[in-house]
Amino acid sequence: MTTATERATGPATGRPGEQVLRHRMTPRRWARELGWRHVVGVLAVLYAVFPIVYVVSASLSPTGTLTGSNELFAQVSGVNYAALGDTRFWTWMGNTLVIGVATAVGTVLMGAAAAYAFSRFRFAGRRLGLTALLIIQMFPQMLAFVAIFLLLISLGEVVPALGLNSKLALICVYLGGALGVNTFLMYGFFNTVPRELDEAAKIDGATHAQVYWTIILRLVTPILAVVALLSFISTFGEFIIARVVLQSESNWTLAVGLYGWVSSLLEANWGLFAAGAVLSAIPVLALFLFLQKYIVGGLTAGSVKG
Amino acid sequence: MRRSILLASALATTLALTACGSGEPSGGSTADADASAKPSASGSLTVWVDETREAAVQAAAEAYEAESGVDVEIVQKNFEDIRADFLAQVPTGEGPDVTVGAHDWLGEFTANGVVAPIELGDKAGDFIPVSVEAFTQDGQVYGLPYAIENIALIRNTELAPEAPQTYDDMIAAGKKAGTKFPFLIQSDGDKGDPYTYYPFQTSFGAPVFEQNDDGSYRPELALGGENGEAFATWLGEQGEAGNLSTDISYDIAVEAFAKGQSPFVIGGPWMLEKFQDLDLAVDPIPAPGDQPAQPFVGVQGFYVSAQSKNALLANDFLVNYLSTTEAQTALFEAGGRPPALVEAADKASQDPLVAGFREVGATAVPMPSIPEMGSVWSFWGVTEASIISGKADDPVKAWDKMVSDIEGAIG
Amino acid sequence: MSRARYKGAVAGSGTFSGAGFAVKLVLIALVDALGVFGVLAAWRAGSWGILAATVALLAAANWVYFTKRSLPLKYILPGLAFLLVYQVYVVGYTGYVAFTNYGDGHNSTKEQAVDALLVQNERRVEGSPALPLTVVESGDGELGFAVVEDGAAEVGTAEEPLEAAPDATLDGGAVTQVPGWTVLDRATVLQRQDEVTTLRVPVSDDAADGSVRTQDARTGYVFQPVLEYDEAADTMTDTATGVVYTPNDEGQFESADGEVLPVGWRVTVGFENFATAFGDDRYAGPFVKILLWTVAFAVLSVVTTFALGMFLAMVFNDPRLRGRKVYRTLMILPYAMPGFLAALLWSGMLNKSFGVINQVLLGGAAIPWLTDPWLAKLSVLGVNLWLGFPYMFLICTGALQSLPGDVYEAARIDGAGKWRTWRSITMPLLLVATAPLLISSFAFNFNNFTLIKMLTGGGPRFDDASVPLGHTDILISMVYNVSGLDGSAPRDYGLASALSIVIFVIVGVISAIAFRQTRKLEELS
Repeated sequence: MTTATERATGPATGRPGEQVLRHRMTPRRWARELGWRHVVGVLAVLYAVFPIVYVVSASLSPTGTLTGSNELFAQVSGVNYAALGDTRFWTWMGNTLVIGVATAVGTVLMGAAAAYAFSRFRFAGRRLGLTALLIIQMFPQMLAFVAIFLLLISLGEVVPALGLNSKLALICVYLGGALGVNTFLMYGFFNTVPRELDEAAKIDGATHAQVYWTIILRLVTPILAVVALLSFISTFGEFIIARVVLQSESNWTLAVGLYGWVSSLLEANWGLFAAGAVLSAIPVLALFLFLQKYIVGGLTAGSVKG
Repeated sequence: MRRSILLASALATTLALTACGSGEPSGGSTADADASAKPSASGSLTVWVDETREAAVQAAAEAYEAESGVDVEIVQKNFEDIRADFLAQVPTGEGPDVTVGAHDWLGEFTANGVVAPIELGDKAGDFIPVSVEAFTQDGQVYGLPYAIENIALIRNTELAPEAPQTYDDMIAAGKKAGTKFPFLIQSDGDKGDPYTYYPFQTSFGAPVFEQNDDGSYRPELALGGENGEAFATWLGEQGEAGNLSTDISYDIAVEAFAKGQSPFVIGGPWMLEKFQDLDLAVDPIPAPGDQPAQPFVGVQGFYVSAQSKNALLANDFLVNYLSTTEAQTALFEAGGRPPALVEAADKASQDPLVAGFREVGATAVPMPSIPEMGSVWSFWGVTEASIISGKADDPVKAWDKMVSDIEGAIG
Repeated sequence: MSRARYKGAVAGSGTFSGAGFAVKLVLIALVDALGVFGVLAAWRAGSWGILAATVALLAAANWVYFTKRSLPLKYILPGLAFLLVYQVYVVGYTGYVAFTNYGDGHNSTKEQAVDALLVQNERRVEGSPALPLTVVESGDGELGFAVVEDGAAEVGTAEEPLEAAPDATLDGGAVTQVPGWTVLDRATVLQRQDEVTTLRVPVSDDAADGSVRTQDARTGYVFQPVLEYDEAADTMTDTATGVVYTPNDEGQFESADGEVLPVGWRVTVGFENFATAFGDDRYAGPFVKILLWTVAFAVLSVVTTFALGMFLAMVFNDPRLRGRKVYRTLMILPYAMPGFLAALLWSGMLNKSFGVINQVLLGGAAIPWLTDPWLAKLSVLGVNLWLGFPYMFLICTGALQSLPGDVYEAARIDGAGKWRTWRSITMPLLLVATAPLLISSFAFNFNNFTLIKMLTGGGPRFDDASVPLGHTDILISMVYNVSGLDGSAPRDYGLASALSIVIFVIVGVISAIAFRQTRKLEELS
């Protein structure tokens, strides 16, 4: 664990020409070397955050139309948030967390195992297999719903839990994409773990499973966290397949539910929608904050020798 | 909330049960197999509803459950999704026994064989005629109507005490009121909103399709020709004058009216909820042309799936429980759309606003339900929008191109 | 990682080998048990396809985990199994649909189409009364109806036309008892509702008089069929006109003079969908424009997001900068929002007359962000930039930190300026490092339907085209439109599938070529 963090932050401080001179910098030099960075930072943050401020403002406006609420924070009230309690919002939130976490864990487990195989074993079709994994994911998902729907109907006739309107079935569908871009990310990172380590372990009599579980996995914790986050985020925002699979309202995910609130124009309730959107961004953000140190370190090594 | 959790778990259980039950191959299932699959309950019924109708249907379902011992599962869907999902799911044997829907889906539903006719019998006479007509195709009734909806002119009586007689009167009154907008009509950016603009079009004598004597439509366009071109020219003028704007979306129109920024808005009963603080009147839509401005009437109703394994229950539930005055009144109270059952409509009309919409609806025409209508909307809206926004330099030319494009699309 | 520590790990799990094997055994036993359950369930349900697939997967799992010859597969199989079932099968099935006419009017099986036609074409005899009805059963289990017409009871079955039953007991206008028949209670009726709703009791010996049927088991009506299906000959006959309809290759019943009945069924049509896809003149012009824009959109999206992400990553890669964490966290916010939601939000903000951008930021300007062809394209790219740059920022931040320091040192000694260092060292290294992710980002944007649909809906429309397509439509949204999935034309899943196969081939080929190129790059560096 310590090794991992060390490796992640290590090179950054070791960059040439970046000896810390913070205390003895002249204002002019500060402006030239750091000040402009703050200007860029503020501009970038404004670009990134402005629309979000706008949603927050809409969520606090009791009148609740989106395009009609240009006066930011003209009225502040919690009615929209309170009104969420009368809807299935919290049920959806629970469903989303369950599905998101299960998918993330499954993706990490299966993706990491596959990445290990691609990284450590040499077998026929290895390169082709890697490319094929990525390309199969490029099939336009928009139309896949017809086939997924029919597939789940047949599966449901055999095992109802794998059929329509089951969260487990949706997780399985998402896990179908566990091998893909994420495997690639992990593959690159696995490659950065020196092979000498596993070879030494093998000489000491460790099996490949021992090497994988007790050595490799511990070293690649950062990328596991990253892939978990990426998978969680994409599950969180997915609604095209989710709304085909999850038919009853009590099984919906947040994306399906929120989409429902705005999809029919006449019943549109932007205030409620905005409040829901703000709240739904919180789990993702919390997870990001929690994993931030891994993410910076995790993507680091992974991409380099991809 | 607690009830909904109970409901949800009950729903989940019954869903699981029906999932087991539906495993039987439909073709070879005998009475015995059915009996063994559902040992105790005497059947169950799945009903798709959208959010605004859920509570009302739930009430009728509870009454039905109490009386017949049948489980009724209410599944909430987005109204938008129901049409496509019903079409996709019914042929697979999934899908509901009964679904809520609009009458203009009928053409597509029958062409795909996903709906079964229902026999209203003598009850047909209890409904407002246009509502049953709207669900009739080729002499067969395919849906139980429950609400009739149409747009009208909603007036803020404080800003405009008098109902305008003509379109020009309305603009004049609107300008006199000194508000930000003389009147409001929603559009949807460059996609337009031909539904809301339709009364203006009919006042120029350019309905969308030719109508047969019995009121049904045939797939021959009627919106072209001189009358249509006159309407197009008018749209261009009004757009230039700033009275019409494609940027006023539904949200913007509702919010502006609620804030008192205009004395008039053209819209339906679904808007009223947002205008509760205002003194309102509902008037006929003032005509810019020389014929009456007839909006479209949309009828909402319930369809029975052609693949329903509980057809008996479904029909029983519709014809004998959802057509009662109580059920139709409850649906009205939930969704605000005037009921289709005469008795319930009379009761609802005690509210002058509802009566106002109903009066306008009496002169209105049903929205075409022929499948060709699907190809019309998009060209129609975009052309109207481009004329209003001035993007199309020559309104008449744009309109004529639209007519030929639609003809091309219908094939 | 110190060797000492790793040795500790191995020593600590001295019995690992045995324990590991036990865990493996338990897991496989579990998988096998679930698999056997699945096989049995599939057997019971008669789903032979699923049965075969389950058996195959089970056999593969057991082989892989108990042989020594399949080391890589041991690690790949779990993910691969899901991939095969939920992705490869799905792609394959879509490929199959591409060769059928599945869609509006050909939505179901022939059996269902026949049923639907018969049901739709059974008419109530005009002026016939509503008959209070009771479902009854004869001694030998045959169902029948007992109806009341003009106050008199009549009983009949499918075989025996209605006959007067003078000794029946009436209550409340309906029959409650008939000697020789059992009146079925409601629960039994419901259990046998299939039989009840399909039962037709002839009114008389003359078939032309029609027959009684019921939909709710409470009231019966006299109906007459307009269409009759002859199962043996597989033909439909119109009873009024005598016209005979026979099934054609398109999955419809067709009469001799070419008239077809409305409800059809699904049949395979060969390459017809592909021919349609490329054969419609109306789409020829827009197609080229849309293809060019799609490629431009996908490429520019990747380039702009990558450029901004990389720029910001470099700006914030200075460890002396205070508040880097705060900046990074705030900049990640767009990524935390579901894409469809962000697109909807922006479409409101960019509204010409009421959007916050024009109204507040630009002080009441009336810039047609979404309705002018070029501005709309710009807006789409701008919004996609907003959505996508945080991801690239993250990736580049990571990659930058791990670039080898010695290369920079060498560059500095050679006297290379900042710009040159960036161009000849940082940039190529970053590109190599992130290439696979960039390629998959390209593919994602190539099919970024949600963004287009929610932001512009493809608009503004082409003025000169006769199809409802617009300047920001990309291939996938064109498919949505052409195949009627948006409701503007009859839905045609066959055509949609054929087109998505075509798109898949385009994206796949471009990506595969890109991969080869990056591999060459990699070897060079």
